[in-house]
Amino acid sequence: MKLMSRILACSVLVALSLAGAAHAQQRDKVVLMLNWYNYGEHAPFYMGLDKGYYRDEGIDLEIQEGRGSGATVQAVAAGSVQFGYADVGTMMKATAKGAPVKSVGILLQKSPMSAMGFADKNITKPGDIVGKTVAVTPGDALSQLWPVFLKINNIQESQVKTVSGDATTKRNAVVNGQADMLLGNVNDQKPIIEEQTGKPMRAVLFADYGVNTINAGIIASKDLIAKNPDLVRRFMRASMKAVEATEKAPDEAVAAMLKVNPKAGNPKTLKTSLETTIPLYHTKDTEKARPFQVQMKDVSATLDMMSQYGGIDAASKGKAEDYYTAEFVK
Amino acid sequence: MAAAEPAAHRRGRLRRSVESEYARPLILIVAVFVLWELVIDIFQIKPYLIPSPWSVARMLVTEWPRLWREGLVTAYATLGGFALSIVLGIPIAMAIAYSRTMESYVYPLMVFSQSIPKIAIAPLFVVWFGFGIFPKIISAFLLGFFPVVVATVMGFKSVETEMIDLARSMRASRLQTFLKISLPHALPSIFSGLKVSATLAVVGAVVGEFVGSNSGIGYVLQIANGNFDLPLMFAALFVLSMMGVILFAVVDLVEKLMIPWHQSRRGDVMVGTA
Repeated sequence: MKLMSRILACSVLVALSLAGAAHAQQRDKVVLMLNWYNYGEHAPFYMGLDKGYYRDEGIDLEIQEGRGSGATVQAVAAGSVQFGYADVGTMMKATAKGAPVKSVGILLQKSPMSAMGFADKNITKPGDIVGKTVAVTPGDALSQLWPVFLKINNIQESQVKTVSGDATTKRNAVVNGQADMLLGNVNDQKPIIEEQTGKPMRAVLFADYGVNTINAGIIASKDLIAKNPDLVRRFMRASMKAVEATEKAPDEAVAAMLKVNPKAGNPKTLKTSLETTIPLYHTKDTEKARPFQVQMKDVSATLDMMSQYGGIDAASKGKAEDYYTAEFVK
Repeated sequence: MAAAEPAAHRRGRLRRSVESEYARPLILIVAVFVLWELVIDIFQIKPYLIPSPWSVARMLVTEWPRLWREGLVTAYATLGGFALSIVLGIPIAMAIAYSRTMESYVYPLMVFSQSIPKIAIAPLFVVWFGFGIFPKIISAFLLGFFPVVVATVMGFKSVETEMIDLARSMRASRLQTFLKISLPHALPSIFSGLKVSATLAVVGAVVGEFVGSNSGIGYVLQIANGNFDLPLMFAALFVLSMMGVILFAVVDLVEKLMIPWHQSRRGDVMVGTA
């Protein structure tokens, strides 16, 4: 009798573990490619990974660091990764050029783009930028909206001196005084330079002075959206939960990020970066909405701005629905 | 029979012009273009991945003034770096070739320095030297320098000692020995080093521009990249390659003038003289 029950218990255990293994095998392997090397903005995805939100949706998630939104969009378009986290304005440019990708949820609905410099330069509003030297990366999203920002704030382009270089050069130029400011995302370079130099920085946000564009979102290929909408829905469901959990407990999200990737950065810097990011999740209109739920009019406004200044021709512009679908964040 | 002769003659001329030194690369270029277009059409490759050769050619024409202007900037940096490679590279190489001590001190260090990826230290050049042309010249120099040194050292070291002994036995001065025996012997090797250096200097200049620059082909490439403007990117790359080709051809011409006696310059090996 005792033996029988033991055998029974064993077989139940075996059956259970087999079922578990089978379950694991059924999980979809998914790669999310980020827009850039890890910084605080990415914490929610690690939170979701750590809390098991993706696993609960049957997703075996791998997060890869990126090298600029452009490259991430191309990787998604080419099918090398399933999802990308990238600047949606940049995605629009690629989509207008024929890349078969679409955004399925927009996390940063307020733009983190800014012109930033050390606090002792006393630059607090656009007017203070006149006569200063600004470091930019040619061709990136910020450099393309920069002339718009200047125009809206009545500054002549000739009143500002620019120097150009890649991301590292921009940072070095400000740290070494070759430039007074750099164009960068307030949640990325600012905390990093503050950590590096121990000196406070101040940022003039584009969004506060007439140039608000939707920024980072989740993108997927049109192919995946058509063939496996269920996977997209599950991925977004988990991501929405992850962001909500992050909003409630940013510290935990940073800890989760460091658990998965111990080299993600300095905990304090990551936390500052994340705390600067969270207020950008919602506009006034979407304060009550869940994360990633953007208003179509904001997508439209960004598309208009990109087609006016950002290198999308009017002919291939199309409409907001070509670039974003709300179907997966309902 | 008499009527067939001119036709054969014509065929021969056609064949000669097809096989001439200048026609061959052109034929290959045309073939590559056709293949490129075909691959894009057959596999339906989207323009955001690879542009069609036509769109690149059109871009080259419409954007020519800008490409020319930015190309000149890159050309100056390239020439500066290349000149520096010659001016510093050849004397250092001679010192290494003639002195054991120099060789043991300097050579390993140079090999060591050559293995440092320039793209990793290029941002520092901007910090040290600013956004002007100088950091690009340094970057071009660092890439172009090494092949010149290696080839020159090899050139001078491969002079047969019997020849030197012969010159000495005939009471030639050191300078005479150098000018009449060593230098002519080393020149072919030096020139092959210079040719490699010329093409690498172009790459070096662009690396410098990528990291920090307000002008130049590297700057154009960055803008094209940011806009997914692949035709412009390929057009800029074409300008860059042409720069390398022209510099290479100039070195080749100088070589031809300076060492017409060398075996690579004689007979049918290079048909250019025909």
